[in-house]
Amino acid sequence: MTTATDIRSIDRVEVDRGHIARRIKSVLVHGLVLFLVAIMLLPLFYMVMMSFKTSTEIAQDPLGLPSSLYLGNYMNALASMGYVRSVLNSLGITISVIVVVVLAGAMAAYPLARIQNRISRIIVMIMALGLATPNFVTITPIYVIFRDLGLLDSYVGIVLAFASLKLPLAVFFYTGFIAAIPIELEEAARLENCNNWQVFWHVIRPLLAPVTATLSLFVMLMVWNDFTYPLLLLTDKDKFTVMIAVYRSVGNTGIDPTMLFPAAVLGSLPLLILFAVFQRRIMSGAMAGAVK
Amino acid sequence: MAQVSLGKVIKKYGDVQAIHGVDLQIPEGAFCVFVGPSGCGKSTLLRMIAGLEETTDGRIVIGERDVTHADPAKRGVAMVFQTYALFPHMTVRENMSFGLKIGGADKEEIRQKVDNAAQILKLHDYMDRKPKALSGGQRQRVAIGRAIVRQPDVFLFDEPLSNLDAELRVQMRIEIAKLHQQLGATMIYVTHDQVEAMTMADVIVVLRDGRIEQSGSPVELYSNPDNRFVAGFIGSPRMNFLPATVVASGDGITVISPDGLDGLEIPVKTMASPAVGSQIVMGLRPEQFSPDGALRLSLDIDVIENLGGVAYAYGTAGNAVADQLVVELRGALPANGAQKLDVGFNAGDVLLFDAGTDQRIR
Repeated sequence: MTTATDIRSIDRVEVDRGHIARRIKSVLVHGLVLFLVAIMLLPLFYMVMMSFKTSTEIAQDPLGLPSSLYLGNYMNALASMGYVRSVLNSLGITISVIVVVVLAGAMAAYPLARIQNRISRIIVMIMALGLATPNFVTITPIYVIFRDLGLLDSYVGIVLAFASLKLPLAVFFYTGFIAAIPIELEEAARLENCNNWQVFWHVIRPLLAPVTATLSLFVMLMVWNDFTYPLLLLTDKDKFTVMIAVYRSVGNTGIDPTMLFPAAVLGSLPLLILFAVFQRRIMSGAMAGAVK
Repeated sequence: MAQVSLGKVIKKYGDVQAIHGVDLQIPEGAFCVFVGPSGCGKSTLLRMIAGLEETTDGRIVIGERDVTHADPAKRGVAMVFQTYALFPHMTVRENMSFGLKIGGADKEEIRQKVDNAAQILKLHDYMDRKPKALSGGQRQRVAIGRAIVRQPDVFLFDEPLSNLDAELRVQMRIEIAKLHQQLGATMIYVTHDQVEAMTMADVIVVLRDGRIEQSGSPVELYSNPDNRFVAGFIGSPRMNFLPATVVASGDGITVISPDGLDGLEIPVKTMASPAVGSQIVMGLRPEQFSPDGALRLSLDIDVIENLGGVAYAYGTAGNAVADQLVVELRGALPANGAQKLDVGFNAGDVLLFDAGTDQRIR
């Protein structure tokens, strides 16, 4: 006959087994995640590590850790690439593109999200085509148009070029998000004496903050890291973006690791700092709308 | 405060006609409730008055002004939505003052009006909170407060209580009724809940398929419905309907015999004289059955719902063609497991309806 004590001990054994199984599963999952993170961080780690090595160390042991944090490479890179100027250029261009894309994208998306007819559907399809078109396809037409308009080698030109390329993405982002905003909010605003512009500015625009943060991150990454358009449209050294400054300082005839790695670190650093500062906001935007 | 007049108002969506030439006068200061089943057009009609739906044809007059094609903000109306429609990025104070700010009112005037509305609705403690930090009832009060500060001629409520739980709904119902007494403004209220309509309204407008079936005071609609639809819609549980045959008629009396209830003849006072042998429908409310009614009926009980103070017996009578009869019971209930219930009613409570047109035979 099974006693109450027996049942309790059987229950405890089963509870313990379940607990151990959950622990093993948790360790395996965490191990896998750490492994994937390590794979992703390895190139970054290698880049930072190499940037602190002397040329002799690099030649003798390309995979080893630096013996000391040698800053001479950074001094050379900073001196040759006009770092501060190029970072300011990149920042200025990136922020300008984000402002234009966010404003124009939201304003374009608002009617597209609210007016459901054949014309709006066609416009959304054209935007989708813009998203699907590779950047290389548009390089030549943009160059020719900008040359004819006298926009080559100008901040306005590069900002317009990037804005036109990223606008379809913004419209796509915003159209879906605005469509999910209850129409009653707009109706309430109209009853409160708002015209179309006021509805957009006072009601719709503030609600776009989370998705704007996410969109801004995407646009920032794309614009900051873009190489081809600044290379094509900018020739004045004072207007170079960081990526072009890195490229120019490294040169295209040979690769000097003591110049390449610190320049690459310096080129990525502002972006990493920005991401670290705005991380929480960006992630909350990426998750916005996932749950009610 | 203003009266609202609708003159042959029509709403079409493409080929589909949602509102079929509605004529209605809502007196100044009245609490008017649009009621009807889902899809009857009550919200559409309210939104047409608000200006949120374009009016295809007809006239909408608020006060002395024809507002048929005026912008929503120019109509002197304020609306409380089913979903509250509070601006989530604004605090309670900002939500309530938004319309006045947009309208260019000065800060002191805005503060006064908002504080006044907050006092009426007991919102003082929540003024700096955002809507997400409020309960459903508080949000609804903020939505009402936002309407109050604009001091509109007409308040429009679009099923404002349907997102609240039963207890809160009763509480808010009382608050809205008190608010109406306090402000004395014209209020138009949409609901599908006939209990809300009966308890709050001065005037009930019953709609079906975009047409007004009947309008009048709650008591009028309850005791003197124009047709079978209104008779069935107003009152809970709904009125019992039994097919019947006219066995005699004339001299202001129509005698009917409910089908399947042999031997039961009911003399009903009518001005009309339906043809003998014609089919009609008799209506009798569950609460009009009583133990001492002159006309007797034996009910085969299916189930008894006991709500405490009152109970409802569901069952069938004889071979009556009606699906199921509902009888309200007060006081002593039948013994547990009882199969039969002997109830009575009076001929004066019976209403007659034309079996073909469903119109009342008076």
